[in-house]
Amino acid sequence: MNRRDAIRKTALMAGTAAGVPSFLSLLQACSKQERLTWVPEFLSEDQARFISAFVDTILPKTDTPGALDVKADVFIDLVYARTYDQKAQENVVAEIEKFNATAKDKFGNVFADLSLEDKTAFLKEQEANSPKFNPRVWGTAVGKQEPVGFYRGLKSMTLWAYFSSEEIGKNVLSYDPIPGEYKGCIPLADVGNSWSL
Amino acid sequence: MANFNIDAKQDMTYDAIVIGSGISGGWAAKELCEKGLKTLVLERGRLVEHVKDYPTMTLDPWDTELRGGLTPEQKARHPQGGRVGFIGEMNEHFHANDVENPYTEVKPFLWVRAHQMGGRSLLWGKQTYRWSDLDFEANAKDGHGVDWPIRYKDLAPWYTYVEKFAGISGEALGLPQLPDSHFLPPMELNCVEKHVKSRIEKDFPGRNMIIGRVAHLTEPINGRGKCQFRNRCDRGCPYGAYFSSNAVTLPAANATGNLTIRPFSIVQSIVYDEQTGKASGVRIIDAETNADIVYNAKIIFVNASTLSTTQILLNSTSNRFPNGLGNDSGELGHNLMDHTYRVGAMGKVEGFEDQYYKGRRPNGIYIPRYVNLQGGPQSDKFVRGFGYQGGGGRSNWGAGANEPDFGADFKDRMMKPGPWEFFITGFAECLPYHENKVYLNKDVLDKWGQPTLSIDAEWGANELALNEQIRIDAKEMLDRAGLKEVIDFDNKHEMGYGIHEMGTARMGRDPKTSVLNGFNQVHACKNVFVTDGACMTSSSCVNPSLTYMALTARAADHAVSELKKMNL
Repeated sequence: MNRRDAIRKTALMAGTAAGVPSFLSLLQACSKQERLTWVPEFLSEDQARFISAFVDTILPKTDTPGALDVKADVFIDLVYARTYDQKAQENVVAEIEKFNATAKDKFGNVFADLSLEDKTAFLKEQEANSPKFNPRVWGTAVGKQEPVGFYRGLKSMTLWAYFSSEEIGKNVLSYDPIPGEYKGCIPLADVGNSWSL
Repeated sequence: MANFNIDAKQDMTYDAIVIGSGISGGWAAKELCEKGLKTLVLERGRLVEHVKDYPTMTLDPWDTELRGGLTPEQKARHPQGGRVGFIGEMNEHFHANDVENPYTEVKPFLWVRAHQMGGRSLLWGKQTYRWSDLDFEANAKDGHGVDWPIRYKDLAPWYTYVEKFAGISGEALGLPQLPDSHFLPPMELNCVEKHVKSRIEKDFPGRNMIIGRVAHLTEPINGRGKCQFRNRCDRGCPYGAYFSSNAVTLPAANATGNLTIRPFSIVQSIVYDEQTGKASGVRIIDAETNADIVYNAKIIFVNASTLSTTQILLNSTSNRFPNGLGNDSGELGHNLMDHTYRVGAMGKVEGFEDQYYKGRRPNGIYIPRYVNLQGGPQSDKFVRGFGYQGGGGRSNWGAGANEPDFGADFKDRMMKPGPWEFFITGFAECLPYHENKVYLNKDVLDKWGQPTLSIDAEWGANELALNEQIRIDAKEMLDRAGLKEVIDFDNKHEMGYGIHEMGTARMGRDPKTSVLNGFNQVHACKNVFVTDGACMTSSSCVNPSLTYMALTARAADHAVSELKKMNL
């Protein structure tokens, strides 16, 4: 059984075999902190906790919803599960492990279990050391794009997961599915937040 | 909408057969049907009926589970065409399957194909410009390629004819190198585009920046609705606001009662009758049953798209044409052209922070050719010329991954529009080189056991020199216009990225050096017409689709007139 199947099977069992004590205690045993409230399709519990902590640090809840409120972490797991091939999936797992190993090394714990202060310090370091995306024209990067690395790739996915969610796209950004006309110059104040589409 | 007649079992014989239902095939079908010919359209792929078969046309990102992402299985269908960067969940169903339809890149060549009713007319960029005598006289003047057998005056009335039906929006300027179309009202430039336009036109006399001329309706015509500025064209337009075969020409052809369209019909070859010296019909393979079927007709229009058209002609061998139908000259498959692409500059525009726009305009700006004009100064570095497309707008959260921060303030900032940005990217003319060619590959067969194409083409020195000038001029224009952080770029794409394949069955005056005559007839088999991009003798720097439309309508008119005179 490969990892993904194992996780799928676990999910199935969690759904149908609730109340089996040995199984529940097994899950609890491997999560010292708060348990996930969702069942990942691809990631392990610990890896999912990392993604949740990451998106929450990038886009926290304020007077507008945070990344966790719109289930950005759940969507990212789905993207890994459904759109990544096996090699890319293996790479994600390796990168998360590496990220956590570095966090442990520098701050004494895996990323999800760091204080907000330490999470911020750690991500700032990643931010400073990660290559950037080249500008794009019509869907293609301009010039030769060097790999942006795991941090910036995941930051980009976090933004996508958040801003393409229905809650943000419809209720927070300015949503106008059928504009009906093009006006080239109007006061920004008449629109407010960016157009969502 | 009326159902299409797809029952091609009733009749094995038609007045006309049209191979392919994309931009030019749709026009051929409409013109021939309206002139009273019982017409069979052979389509390689499935039926795509206007509106009914546009499953993603109104979907928002959150309406599908993957929000535009592709599964590994979907990606695996596009190992070659996927390089274009346009294929996503919302339009994947309109892109051909490369695995079932392989081609061989002797040199790197991107071939974007759309195998369904409507073909690439569902996916095209809608930029529509007339060519001029700067283009039709170019080969004769500088000696590259062979002379076009036509001039602008031959095509001008047909441009007007197709424009009135297709619906082209734009602004009339009276430029000799870019003749005006019959226009619907132009779309609007935004604040920053107006600003850049005024700076460029002031600092660079002779250069113009205009709103793109496009096959989008800005007023309703013929029962089609106007553009609603959703910019979801590549999913199919529920309003029929942009020109596609599906929304415009095929319904018109169908309305005559003379149209039969047969989907899943892979054309194997055109059948040549050695007795009459004419083509007698078309042999197909049914894509679903593998049945081998021959349909007969008096005239045949080949509109399978540039390279597929030539593939069919090359595969149509007979005693008379052992090297492919109409290939007496040896030029069939040669002189492949495209436009260079993705060379230009971009930058940020300061100011206008309190300004924004409404609507997602499926169009940008155009800077018509200004180098090597007739009567103007001539470059000593290259022949021919280039134009630019581009546009301006405000960045949004999509630029956020590169921002140096994250957290609460970052999130709030990402809700607001970012700085104004503006870019231009050039499209340069490509010369017709005999060495740039395609040929049949009998070692690599498609899903139906048919030989495939090998493509062996690359840019020449002239195209590279044009690209260099495009890059230099783009940067200079944006710098002088006051843009900040101007980046010039040249992605050095292989041929094919322009998705403007042209040539390989060129028109010409002399049967010894060309495949088609001045009415797009195969020189030595006059009841076969080729009016898609394969027929092009030179490539201009201007988008070609409108010219295919005009050439097709003109050729169909000639075909019916010749039929009536019993000449075909």
